[in-house]
Amino acid sequence: MRRLQSIFHRLRNLFHKDAVERETDQELCFHLERQIAEHAAVGMSPEEARRAALLEFGGVEQFKEECREARGVNRIESLLADLRYGFRTLRKSPGFAVVSVLTLALGIGANAAIFSMVNALLLHPYSFRNLDSLVRVWEDRGIDEGYDARYIAPADVEDLRSSNGVFEGLTTYNYQSFGLGMEGDVQPILGCRVSANFFDVFAVSPAAGRLFVAAEEQPGADQVVILSYGSWQRRFGGDPRVLGKTISLNGRVYTLVGIMPKDFDYPVPVELWVPLALTPGEKADRTQLSLNALARLKPGITVSQAGAALAGFSHRLEREYPRTNAGRATTLLQLRKELYVFTLPLFLLLQAAAGFVLLLACANLANLVFARMIGRQREIALRAALGAGRGRLGQLFISETLLYSFAAGVAAIVASFASVRALRNSIPAGWTKWVPGWDGIRVDGNVLAFTILVALGVGFLLGLATVLHTSRVEPNKTLKETGTGTVTRAKRRVRNALVVAQVMFALILLVCAGLTIQGFGRLASVYQGFEPASVLRVEISLPKNSYSDKVKINNFYQQLLRGTASLSGVQHASLITNPPASNIDSETTFFTMEGPAALKASEVPSADLQIASPDFFDTLKISSIVGRVFSDRDGSDSARVAVISRGMANRFWPKGGAPGHRIKLGPQDSTEPWLTIVGVVGDVRQNWWNPSTRPVIYKPFAQVPQRSMTLLLRTSSNPTSYISAVRDVVRKIDLGIALRGINTLEEEVADSIAIVRIMGILMGIFGVVALALSSLGVYGVLSESVAQRTHEIGIRLALGAKPRDLLKLILGQALKLTAIGLVIAVPCAVAISRAMASLIFGVVSVDFAMLGGFTALLFLVALGAGYLPARRAIGVDPMVSLRYE
Amino acid sequence: MSKPTDLVQGTLDLLILKSIALAPMHGWAIAQRIRHVSKDVLQVNQGALYPALHRLEQQHWITAEWGESENNRRAKYYSLTKSGKKYLQSEQANWERLSAAIGLVLKRA
Repeated sequence: MRRLQSIFHRLRNLFHKDAVERETDQELCFHLERQIAEHAAVGMSPEEARRAALLEFGGVEQFKEECREARGVNRIESLLADLRYGFRTLRKSPGFAVVSVLTLALGIGANAAIFSMVNALLLHPYSFRNLDSLVRVWEDRGIDEGYDARYIAPADVEDLRSSNGVFEGLTTYNYQSFGLGMEGDVQPILGCRVSANFFDVFAVSPAAGRLFVAAEEQPGADQVVILSYGSWQRRFGGDPRVLGKTISLNGRVYTLVGIMPKDFDYPVPVELWVPLALTPGEKADRTQLSLNALARLKPGITVSQAGAALAGFSHRLEREYPRTNAGRATTLLQLRKELYVFTLPLFLLLQAAAGFVLLLACANLANLVFARMIGRQREIALRAALGAGRGRLGQLFISETLLYSFAAGVAAIVASFASVRALRNSIPAGWTKWVPGWDGIRVDGNVLAFTILVALGVGFLLGLATVLHTSRVEPNKTLKETGTGTVTRAKRRVRNALVVAQVMFALILLVCAGLTIQGFGRLASVYQGFEPASVLRVEISLPKNSYSDKVKINNFYQQLLRGTASLSGVQHASLITNPPASNIDSETTFFTMEGPAALKASEVPSADLQIASPDFFDTLKISSIVGRVFSDRDGSDSARVAVISRGMANRFWPKGGAPGHRIKLGPQDSTEPWLTIVGVVGDVRQNWWNPSTRPVIYKPFAQVPQRSMTLLLRTSSNPTSYISAVRDVVRKIDLGIALRGINTLEEEVADSIAIVRIMGILMGIFGVVALALSSLGVYGVLSESVAQRTHEIGIRLALGAKPRDLLKLILGQALKLTAIGLVIAVPCAVAISRAMASLIFGVVSVDFAMLGGFTALLFLVALGAGYLPARRAIGVDPMVSLRYE
Repeated sequence: MSKPTDLVQGTLDLLILKSIALAPMHGWAIAQRIRHVSKDVLQVNQGALYPALHRLEQQHWITAEWGESENNRRAKYYSLTKSGKKYLQSEQANWERLSAAIGLVLKRA
């Protein structure tokens, strides 16, 4: 409080400077008058009395200054004067100002843009209250299931609900696609079935209407719907009277009871939520891990405490239900961290790269400022001679650099509005909705505060560096000297060190950028083993109530395949459960091999399960290695068969001869039928994040029909031109079927790695900027040194030095600095690329050829940057330069 | 002979605070009072008094108010604030302890 008052006091003194000054004058006048009167009273003449009083008082002006100092006016006043001075010097040399502000703005802007992503994706992916106490809960079966497969068995959830002491609330949900019937048309929409307490766990209340009640979790009482805000706006025009009305979902009538607020979109932006009503039989199921679960920790319970409690819980279940629960570990992870496995390394790498760009920019600017300081030596010496202390000079320099960095910060903020929008729009909307927080990428308060802090911090540190660099001015010596000033050896060393650091940062950034771009290139070609060109994909989901048995499902899809295959221009039509590049992991299953149980219990073999129609392998041009693929003879009545991937064959039948062997899904005692392996096909990489191809078991669709499949068509011309024909075929079979996810496979492949592509582009930009900045740095220091040495060069030339010697002299300096920088940078770059390779698996690997290439490139750039100043040195006329002072 | 400005650092503040403890005073009167009370031993450098007053005001130990002087002129009167009173008490106690201790050493050692 005291502090605040005294600041106000100072400001008052500053703004009412005249009034305060007058008051001080009056006060001192009064004193002197009294003193004069006092002396006059004892008989001095008026003249004498006045002289005596002034003598006794001392230097009036000096004490006035001390009074000002005491009131604290001076510091602010001199700061303003310094800022004014800084502004004037900036205006006087606009070239320098523009270059330095732009360089800094580039560095600061890069950081602001990347931080806006870090802020949205890592720090605030969701806007839920008390986000850190929300956790995902699932059962880990000890096989690599990918992050999509985090499920829990319904009966285990019931046990966990009734017995846990760590969760305030535990809720479950499942995605569900619906056919929304509106005015005779059926539209496919994505919804979510949720427990009645779902919204309570998030502690959100509806924007209108009500939430679900516990009674609505009963089958039969569950025909109520809560709409998402977006779907309410899009489909119902934001009409508040929709509450209480009914809609048709998959042919059943549902009543609208609530609307959620705008920013609630968990688990992904779905259109609506319905109650998750499980039958008693489904509720008691312990074999299928079928539910997603989410919980809120009790206040005061940490994640690790909850983890320990869950470990105890899983052990108890393992003892009680060894048949189903052996080897299952109930696991939890903070909601915020669910996607960290992808986002954290990527965005931290980007932020680090942006930080490096800023460091480079700072080194460049420091070099520019230091160079200017040489020219200003006389001014500084004059200031010192007139009594400016080191602190006062420091204030001058810091206020100047703060001025640059502030201007740069403002420029960066202005630019970041555009760059952040570009970043946000750079990824297809259909894809980004799966990345929580992506829509939140914007320049908000956090980003502004971050940018301003970075700008001011940079300005302050640069100013401080300038102070340290120009300390110990000797006015006596400097003022006596003629010429533009000299550079001491120590100072030249500092500036050389800055160039070395720039070369170092540049190499590291280039290598990081190169590795990322190379990784992206590899990712783009990662989807090997199939040909995505000229393939159309369409997702189809049959409603449960009208397609209740396998015969109906099979009939629909057989008609669909026949209908689409007969379209002219369609070469192959087929079905698959999970097409490549879907960004969804395939279902994983254990399997048992017939014959000797060669594998230990802990090595229960597992594989991805795919269900495919006969033409699938031809549609994607997946090669057949041994045996045969499915045919129409593999129907529901014929022998059960399977096709496996080459990777699976090599792993489990390393000596070959997999066809003919029998496997079955599940453990030894499972009731699944034995499948005879009839063929081996080439490996297909499912998604970009899979470190390698996984073993895959394909089952024929006719033997295990599924309601949700993806239709793939290989066409002879542009695949998108077949969309309406496919629609017509589907409508002819069943009017009530909705089509989703219509896209060409090629585009799907490109979209699926969009985020990595953006990263590659950003890193590429950073690398180019780094190269440009460091070559500018080398150029700046060398031309400076040539200018300094004009005299010396003149003497050398006069004494008979050849242009070649001069070229060697100047270029030698450039190469020496670059070499030192590279010697330091190469081990750093190797270490950093190793770290990157381990963090961003499957994307980055250490590449020494690239390292060598960039090292050579930097040498070339240094040579180029040194050549211009060297040419200038050769062009020196000895007569002119010797006269030049 | 020592000059009055050689007063121990901070002592001038103490003298000013003590002088205006009873009634508000203007600068000239403070200087006079210190001289009179100390029987002309302590002669405050008159000019140096004002920076000290302004500093004490900045620190909120004293406040200033313009008033009518004894010869009917406008003068700036200084008086103690609440925190100034507390500060004076603690500083006076400190000073007494210190001078007593120095006295002891000078007598006994």
